[in-house]
Amino acid sequence: MAEIRDITDYAAKDAWSRRKFLQATGLVAASLAAGPIIEACGGGTSGGTSNTGGPYKVPKARAGAKVQLLQWNSFVKAADDEFKRQAAEFSQANSCTVTIQTVSGDDLIAKTPAAVEAGSGPDIIQMEYGWPHLYEQACIDVTADVNYLKGKLGAIHQVNDAFCKVGDAYRAIPYTQVPNAWSYRTDMWQQAGLSKFPTTWDELASNGKQLSDKKLGQIAVSLGHAYGDAITMWYPVLWDFGGREATADGKTVTINSKETLAAVNWAINTWNSNSIAQNTLSWLDPDNNQAYHSGLISATLNGASIYLKEKNINKKYIDVTDNAAQPGGPKGLSTLNLIFNHAVMKWSQEQETARAFLLYAMEHDNYSKWMSVAGGYDAGPYAAFTNDPVWGTDPKLKPFHDVVPNGKWPAWPAVPSKATAQSQVQFIIVDMFAKAVTSKDAKGSIADAEQKLKRIYEKPS
Amino acid sequence: MSTATLPKIAAEPKRRPLHVRLLNREAPLGYTLLVPTMLMLLVFLAFPFLWGIWLSVTDAQIGVDETKFIGGANFLYERGDTVFIQSFWNTINYTLVTTVFKLVLGLSMALLLNQVFPFQRFVRAALLLPWIIPSVLSTLAWRWMFDPTFSVLNWVLVHPLHSVGVNWLGTTNTALASLMVVNIWRGVPFYGISFLAGLQVIPVDLYEAARVDGANRWQQFREITLPLLRPVLMVVLMLSTILTFADFQLPYVLTKGAPYNSTNVLSTWAFNIGVPGGDIGIGAAISLVLFPILAIAIAGVLISLRSKD
Repeated sequence: MAEIRDITDYAAKDAWSRRKFLQATGLVAASLAAGPIIEACGGGTSGGTSNTGGPYKVPKARAGAKVQLLQWNSFVKAADDEFKRQAAEFSQANSCTVTIQTVSGDDLIAKTPAAVEAGSGPDIIQMEYGWPHLYEQACIDVTADVNYLKGKLGAIHQVNDAFCKVGDAYRAIPYTQVPNAWSYRTDMWQQAGLSKFPTTWDELASNGKQLSDKKLGQIAVSLGHAYGDAITMWYPVLWDFGGREATADGKTVTINSKETLAAVNWAINTWNSNSIAQNTLSWLDPDNNQAYHSGLISATLNGASIYLKEKNINKKYIDVTDNAAQPGGPKGLSTLNLIFNHAVMKWSQEQETARAFLLYAMEHDNYSKWMSVAGGYDAGPYAAFTNDPVWGTDPKLKPFHDVVPNGKWPAWPAVPSKATAQSQVQFIIVDMFAKAVTSKDAKGSIADAEQKLKRIYEKPS
Repeated sequence: MSTATLPKIAAEPKRRPLHVRLLNREAPLGYTLLVPTMLMLLVFLAFPFLWGIWLSVTDAQIGVDETKFIGGANFLYERGDTVFIQSFWNTINYTLVTTVFKLVLGLSMALLLNQVFPFQRFVRAALLLPWIIPSVLSTLAWRWMFDPTFSVLNWVLVHPLHSVGVNWLGTTNTALASLMVVNIWRGVPFYGISFLAGLQVIPVDLYEAARVDGANRWQQFREITLPLLRPVLMVVLMLSTILTFADFQLPYVLTKGAPYNSTNVLSTWAFNIGVPGGDIGIGAAISLVLFPILAIAIAGVLISLRSKD
């Protein structure tokens, strides 16, 4: 035992003992957070990988295995039901059990980090946007599986690829995009004397004013903390006027520019002229759906769920609902779609079965069937699904097909990283626009956003 | 010679086992009975709290195994965070305003419920409902009432009252005010029922004596009710202040910090940074900011209560 020479030695010895004691009581208590955190601090378990070094072997399900997959409740229930059906089919064929647990998107945002921090939970977690970059160490390396799928299904869409690939390794298997386009009321457009949906942001503002002046439903988009609708609207507005959050290498914040000022001024002018609804600062993702189905608004940006619900369930405004692609701006036309990918978690005891199920779900026929049941709500991440038959079933779905190639990711062109993920979950760009339209202070709002972005991107490590 | 036998020396009573002897005494028994509770507090309260302090002085991130001690760097880092500063003042504002309203309304409610009237018990039970209903459910119901498109409150304002609807959650002032309204609605029953319990133990003789001496209702309230209600009042204020400072469900469900972070409080901002943002060390630091202030306030209340005893 080391000799204790003075009180600092004693204190040091005692402090280490206290830490050990805390760790020990944590293990005894078997607190959900305690054990796995301590395990992680103690060096962690070895990560899983699909790269075995030798020739690729398609993973096989183990008889008797139990696998749980956590995903969001998509806004098209039929798609979730089909996915669950395929899971049951896989389970029966392989004498195992694959359970799909669906939660709301907001719950997925809370449950995923909780599971990662605890080091236990579902075997597969559906990763939203750039989460593989946030939770890289908790996701196994699935590069070999992704390469296998690339060989069968073709190139991966750039956004799914950017999100799934962290460094040199894929940490998630690309799964889907939820294309976002505009659903609008053709009857209100006609009453306003408008012949077609606008193709530029300036035209959208002008159309919106005409609709508003004639007391028809307004164009409405979320300016609140909606993880889907607000992000898919305001990032493209920024990009289409030439604004950028950060440089491509993600090292320098570039939000404070004349291009961003142009985008923000467009938003302020559009707001001031009543071209878009002004009660959307608190809108979450379901709010625009509800407003459209109630006949209160004339257009909104959304996934195909609004159109599909009118078509398959409500049937109230289906004859006067059409869809249109995203307008463009002076510096380009961009879209941002909701992106989901599947990660097999490091703590899973059934990693091979989990991988086997994900590959099963991505088999061409199975995935195409799922896309068909989803009715155009989901787009495939591989080239093989670009012209899937679902896009030919209804001409009104064409805009949802057309927005996919131009799709970018939040904080583009900065490469997806922890910083881009953080700026997105903090809604910095959305809040910049929200603050600008209410305060009318474009420069102040941009400066505020710049300060917040610098704290994230330039945080000392 | 007497043959009477010497009385037998009584055999020493058999000593009871140590644990029986100990448990027969009040103090050891009391401490023993406290052990399960203390263990639960240690595991589910003390350990997470101490772990939170540890996280706040490290660069811990969700999903990252390596962690190192960085001292107060997280606290210093947050000094430059405008949203943190706004959340701090929102929390103070939110707590102060709601506490005052809950105190006044709760006391009024208790004084009214202390009277005898028909269906008194039913009314007492019904007034407790806001406190009993799970807070997430009631907040969701309020969100519907404040809905920017379908608000029933706006319908009442516009149709029967021919007034103008309010953008309840859509402006910075109305959104924070809406949060306060819901918190007050939920918290008043707790104040009311606690004060009612305190009022019921005040001897009626004191009021009778005061009436005989010519004291009016206000004088009775000021000189009898308030002083005797003081211990209950202090405890209720202390508990409510702690709970309101740490309120998370209500702001998270109602606004999620919108519009543009104007309704973030320290708990929601700590969650935002620590959980979806992944910087759990910074999140822990944010959540601990109020601990020194609260600890001093609580110590003051407890000392004040003990000194009066």
